Amino acid sequence: MRDIFRLSLTLVVVAIISASLLTGVYSVTDPIIRERQEKDYFQALEEFFPAIDQFETREIEGDRFDLVYDQAGEKLGVMATVGTQGYDGKISYNLAVDYDGEIIGIRIISHSETPGIGDVITTDNFQEQFIGKGFDDPIRDGEDVDSISGATLSTGAMIDGIRRTITQIGEDILGRERKAFDPTEIVDGIYQGSVEGTHGPLTVEVEIADGIIKRVDVIEHNETEAYFVDAYPEIPEKIVEEQEVYVDTQTGGTLSAERIVAAVEKALEGAPVDKDDGGESNE
Amino acid sequence: MMVVSLMNESNVYLQDLSRGIIKENPVFRLLLGMCPVLGVTAFLINGLGMGIAATAVLVASNVVISALKNFIPNQVRIPCFIVVIATFVTIIEMVLQAFQPVLYEALGVFVPLIVVNCVILGRAEAFASRKPLFRSLIDGIGVGIGFTLALGLLALVREVAGQGTIMGPDPDSAIHLFGAGFEPMGLFGQPAGAFIALGLLLGIVNVLFKRFKIQ
Repeated sequence: MRDIFRLSLTLVVVAIISASLLTGVYSVTDPIIRERQEKDYFQALEEFFPAIDQFETREIEGDRFDLVYDQAGEKLGVMATVGTQGYDGKISYNLAVDYDGEIIGIRIISHSETPGIGDVITTDNFQEQFIGKGFDDPIRDGEDVDSISGATLSTGAMIDGIRRTITQIGEDILGRERKAFDPTEIVDGIYQGSVEGTHGPLTVEVEIADGIIKRVDVIEHNETEAYFVDAYPEIPEKIVEEQEVYVDTQTGGTLSAERIVAAVEKALEGAPVDKDDGGESNE
Repeated sequence: MMVVSLMNESNVYLQDLSRGIIKENPVFRLLLGMCPVLGVTAFLINGLGMGIAATAVLVASNVVISALKNFIPNQVRIPCFIVVIATFVTIIEMVLQAFQPVLYEALGVFVPLIVVNCVILGRAEAFASRKPLFRSLIDGIGVGIGFTLALGLLALVREVAGQGTIMGPDPDSAIHLFGAGFEPMGLFGQPAGAFIALGLLLGIVNVLFKRFKIQ
C-alpha cells in the first residue's frame, strides 16, 4: 500500500516539474512565434499589395481573408489564407486577388508534397498561369489552366482549391453575383456538356422545354461511387426544383456535385444537341 | 599511481564517447530510430537539423535521468523516462519554432516523434539509469554525434543523387553540383530511395568494419 503511494507520488512530482518547465519555455517562446508569424504574414501582404496601408481581417469557416486598403482608404484587393488537401497532407497558401477579382499572386506557405515531384506547385512556372485569371474564368484543368503531368494530384488539388477560393472571395468578400442562367431565355432543346472528373469525363444531359429545366441526367461518369451517390440524383433534382444552375454543392460528395454543376453550366453555354438529327453531338 | 588512475579515467570517458560514434553507432550498427533516419534525410540541412535536435534531447534526458536514477523507483521508471524525454522534445519543438521556423517546417511531424525515438529511450534505459552523471553526459554526446553523422552522411548521399544539390532546398543557399542540364535520380529523393541509400551505406560500413577488424 505504501509502495503504491510512493510510486504515484514520484510520477506526480515528475509531471509537475515537467509541466512547470514547459509553461516557462512556452511563455518565453510563444510571443516570439506569434510575432514572427505576424511579420511573415504582413510581408506577404506587402509583397502582393505594395501600396498597402491597412487591412481588415475576416474569418469564414476557419479560413482567413484580409481586405487590403491603401492610404486613401480605397480597397486594393483581398488576400486569402486557405488550405487544400494535397497528395500528401494539407497545402496551405495565400491567394491574392485585386479588387476586380483577378488573381495577382499565389504564395505556398507550407506543404508536404513529394520533393522533386509534387513540389512543382511552388514554382513560378505552375503559378504564373493563374495570374490574371478571375472570378468569371472557369479555372479548370485542361480548359484555361493545366495540371502538370507526373504531379497531376498535387497540381490538380491546387487548381480545384484556387477555383473554390476565388469563388468564395467573389461571393462572400467582394459581393459579386455570378452570371445567372435564365432558363426562359434558352432555346428549347437537349443540351450536353462534360467536364473532367476523378477518373474520366463526367457528362450531363439537360432538357429545356418551354423555358423550364425539365430534367438533368448524368449520362457518363467515372466518379468514386461512395461520394457520387451523395451528389446524384440529389443535385440534378435540386437544379430542376430551384430552376437554378448554381445550387448549393455542400454534400457528402462535394467534388462530384461541383462537377455536375459545372457540366450543366457548360451544356447550357453550348448549342442544343438535336437528337432527331441522328448526328453526333457538338463534341 | 595518480597519473595512471587519471589516464584510466579519461580512457573510460573516451570509450564512452567513441562507442556511440563507431562501435555502437545507433544507425549503422544498431539500426535504431529508423523513422527519422529515413523520413527527413532528403536534404542535408534537414538531416543535420534532425540529428542536432535529437542530440540535444538525448544529452539533456541522459543527464536528468542519470541524476534522478536513485529517486525514481524501478517499477515506474519507463513512464518517468518518457515524461522527461517528452518534456525536452516539447522544449526543443517550441525553441525551433521560435528561432528556426524553416527547419521546424521541414522536419514537420518528426520533431514530436523524437519522443518515441528508441535511441533516446534505449540510452536512458541501458546507460543513464545505471551509470554516473558525467559518464551519461559523455555517452549522450557520443551517441548524438554518431546519430547526427549517420543522418548527415545518408542525407548527403540522397541529396546529391536525388536533387543534384547540397545545402538545399532553400534556393538561396542551394549549390548545384552538376550544372543546369543535370537530371537527378528522383528516386533517391523518395522514401523508397532512402531504403536503398541506407542499404548501400550499411553494406559499405560492414565492409569497412570487417576490413579494419573493428568489433
